[in-house]
Amino acid sequence: MDKNLNTSNKRKLNCSDESKCFELLESILDGEETTASKEILDEKLAKCQPCFEHYHLEKVIREVLKNKCTKHMVPAELADTIRQKIQEIK
Amino acid sequence: MSEVQRKKYSDKEKNSIFDHEFMPHIDSMYNFAYRLTFDEDDAKDLVQDTYLKAYRFINSFEQGTNAKAWLFRILKNSFINEYRKKSKQPSKVDYQEVETYYNSDNVDYSMTSDLRVDAVKDMLGDEISNALNSLAVDFRTVIILCDLEGFTYEEMAKILDIPIGTVRSRLHRARNLLKDKLRSYAENMGYDTDEE
Repeated sequence: MDKNLNTSNKRKLNCSDESKCFELLESILDGEETTASKEILDEKLAKCQPCFEHYHLEKVIREVLKNKCTKHMVPAELADTIRQKIQEIK
Repeated sequence: MSEVQRKKYSDKEKNSIFDHEFMPHIDSMYNFAYRLTFDEDDAKDLVQDTYLKAYRFINSFEQGTNAKAWLFRILKNSFINEYRKKSKQPSKVDYQEVETYYNSDNVDYSMTSDLRVDAVKDMLGDEISNALNSLAVDFRTVIILCDLEGFTYEEMAKILDIPIGTVRSRLHRARNLLKDKLRSYAENMGYDTDEE
């Protein structure tokens, strides 16, 4: 997809239906839009600069959230404490 | 997720469900709890309470259905109840404000951001985490559920007791708020956030 970055001059600079397009793009990224085909997405990204930029920004936001957000280690004794409490209420 | 269907599990079945369907989610549960409370002890208590409730109400859980979503729903409800109890100012006012002001399902998606992809890519985990943690709890929650835990809109709607349309709009707003935060970090890092 990134190879398209160099061809941005071929894309239209204004999106005629930004609100609807962006909503669709976000649904696709969230895995919610299954009816829109890959061709529709590819065409949008190839022809429309605002859609292209929005898609890639939204995509990278999701990626950094998923991959970079600090994970907090579960305290080692927590699972044992829970099991113990369960035994008590049984 | 349904609380209507009641099962009658034997002790052996209960233990098996608890060990094989509930306990494997303890990492995700703790992370969620920590991001809600920002405190290790509160997060531990919240996870523990959630598991005790899950065991107590195990007959409302239908084996083979989405245990993670079921547990997250209990955790989120426990948090709301506990949070309301602890806080001297009832959170109701804030919550209503959020409900009426932020939750209309008609969102203008056309707002563009001048935040740059490369700037986001270069950010450290701590910066991303801090930006997420700075969001109001309702917005933070939808991002955690969707992006960190991978729940679908439908699962999120059930966990949060809100319509799918509200999930969608709240998520969109949450990510916009996050982008605002990241943009200010990017500016501090010396990235040019203006359009070229």
